[in-house]
Amino acid sequence: MDVDAFIETRDLTKAYTFGAVEVTALRGVTLSIARGHLVGVTGASGSGKSTLVNLLGGLDRPSSGSIRVEGRQISDLSKKELALYRRNTVGMIFQSFNLVNAYTALENVAFPLLFAGVAKKERLRRAAEILHAVGLEARKDHRPPELSGGEQQRVAIARALVNRPRILLADEPTGNLDSKTSRQIVEILSELNKHQGLTIVMISHERDLLREYASEMIRLHDGAVVDREVLGQQA
Amino acid sequence: MRISDYIGQACGNLWKKKLRTSLTISGVVIGVGALVSMFAFGQGIQRNITDQFKKLDLFNYINVFARDGRPRRGHSSDPDEDGGRMEEDRAPRAERAEDPNRPVLRLDAQFLEEAKKIDGVEAVFPEMRFPAQVRLGDREEFTLVQVLPAEVCRSGLVKLRAGACYASDDVNELVISDSLLRRLRVREPEMAPGTKVEVATLTMDFSLSRLLRMVFSSGGLDLPLARENYAFTAVGVVERMGFGGPIPVQSDVLIPPGAAAKMRKLSLTSVWDLFTRAGGTTSYSTVTVRVKSPQAVGPVKKELESRGFRTFALMDQLDQMRIGFLIMDMFLIAVGMIGITVASLGIVNTMVMSILERYREIGIMKAVGATDGDVQRIFLFESSTIGLLGGLFGLGLGWAVSMVINAIVNTLMARQGAPHMEYFSFPWWLCLGAVAFSIFVSLLAGVYPTRRAARVDPVVALRHD
Repeated sequence: MDVDAFIETRDLTKAYTFGAVEVTALRGVTLSIARGHLVGVTGASGSGKSTLVNLLGGLDRPSSGSIRVEGRQISDLSKKELALYRRNTVGMIFQSFNLVNAYTALENVAFPLLFAGVAKKERLRRAAEILHAVGLEARKDHRPPELSGGEQQRVAIARALVNRPRILLADEPTGNLDSKTSRQIVEILSELNKHQGLTIVMISHERDLLREYASEMIRLHDGAVVDREVLGQQA
Repeated sequence: MRISDYIGQACGNLWKKKLRTSLTISGVVIGVGALVSMFAFGQGIQRNITDQFKKLDLFNYINVFARDGRPRRGHSSDPDEDGGRMEEDRAPRAERAEDPNRPVLRLDAQFLEEAKKIDGVEAVFPEMRFPAQVRLGDREEFTLVQVLPAEVCRSGLVKLRAGACYASDDVNELVISDSLLRRLRVREPEMAPGTKVEVATLTMDFSLSRLLRMVFSSGGLDLPLARENYAFTAVGVVERMGFGGPIPVQSDVLIPPGAAAKMRKLSLTSVWDLFTRAGGTTSYSTVTVRVKSPQAVGPVKKELESRGFRTFALMDQLDQMRIGFLIMDMFLIAVGMIGITVASLGIVNTMVMSILERYREIGIMKAVGATDGDVQRIFLFESSTIGLLGGLFGLGLGWAVSMVINAIVNTLMARQGAPHMEYFSFPWWLCLGAVAFSIFVSLLAGVYPTRRAARVDPVVALRHD
């Protein structure tokens, strides 16, 4: 076991059952990620990238194997403890943004603080502060359908950051964006990694773009890590 | 999450779906409204009956019947023959067996004196009625005149609408009911005190001319009867009861005993009275005993029964009345529950729909750190908000409908001469209970949908489009 590892998985396996058919999404993934790294995960569709991120984010539980984050075994946590882990330790962003359309940008960003029991005034103050940091202060009263893809993803990033997590998990955050906007988003994430020391695991199909900013690249194939490359860019 | 946030979330989410929310709440409003008005009706009836009894002090009275003095069945002037019979049935067998040497128990003057001495007894008066024609102006009506001591007349038993009771037991004054006045075509019963009223009694006439007429009348059906007229002054107007029942005062004309004694009359309400009078002394069919408080009813009754008399007290019927009321309430609630059940299905439907629509949002909630409990509580607050609003508006609807029905019924009843009555009663606990019950039912209706919401798998929900 790597004592310096911030995130560490060991023999991580995840199988899904669809009726009588069992599909194995991850097969014995063992990896360790150091604090402050920006790790790019690539691989073809169905290679298990999203499953890995969901397991790291505590949205799902492994079929076998273990996950340790900050020295804490998260694969053994109860449902409630997992919810607290998602609330306090990780922030997640998705390809389809996953914003609540009925809420304004500001309300979307403030949403996680609701479950943390933060008072409304403080929630909105903190959300406005983060929206300002991602350059969307002027759009705070707009609802997601009124925003561009890039703006929506920036709102999603702000929402992921509002609880001051130590890990940011990004599941193809540029998948729905044009190349220019994709670069802007990756740049924002890279900035967060460099200046705030945020540990980031980012899935992307855009391998070349990712290589420009990542400190480490992992390639998955058929549920297993087939390639691992340390690039040197590091916070 | 904070309580204020749960409330804010619930209100915000319901507000976003105004039409659906208002339709669902309408269902609850109708259900609660029906239940509330049904229950309020039951309460109103109960309150009216018990209040009337209390107001008339009816719980302070015991009716005493002579065990052997009168027929046990079919006597119309007995206010509650059944009650009396019931007491008798409870009497031990040995006591019922006739002892030929035992003196016949009579409700006579001696009994009245003795009964007055029993601890807890306030007044004793016999039930004395005789048939008479009452004339006012040019109209005449047949009625039963009741002899009632001035002291009893002044008690809470007689509810005066105008005027006062006769001043003493010997004056030629009477108290008349407003319903008889109406039959006598008096438009304003309140103006009646001071009016001259003629009371005509039936007497035996054995004069020679009468006997001759009897002998020569066709068919020989003529009876030796004559009419005697007595002048009275109506001093008070008594209100007609809103309902019938075993009450000691139920005649349309009340006169004092002194005045009654001076009248020549046949005090018969049935032929049976002829047989009871045969013994020579005057005895009464029923004697009413007024006790100082309802608590004294038990001991006084026991004492009278130990002396061999049959008794009846309304107080004894109270428990049975309560059971009757309970059954009535249960029936009304059962009918009212139909609406609530339908409304709760509406809530289940709304909540299931809401959860399906917000499936992805639930996934987002979980991804950003909501626990299953948070999710469940968010939706439970929503369903209970539906219940709260439905309960409040339902209470308002139930109240409004009750007021309308009350007004209509009272208008119709006023034409029949019935006094104004509140047929519905809304005690504070009914109002609070209705709202609490509505919230409870809504929470119950929300349990299944909210459990479904709590079980949503965030991975699936976030992939959901």
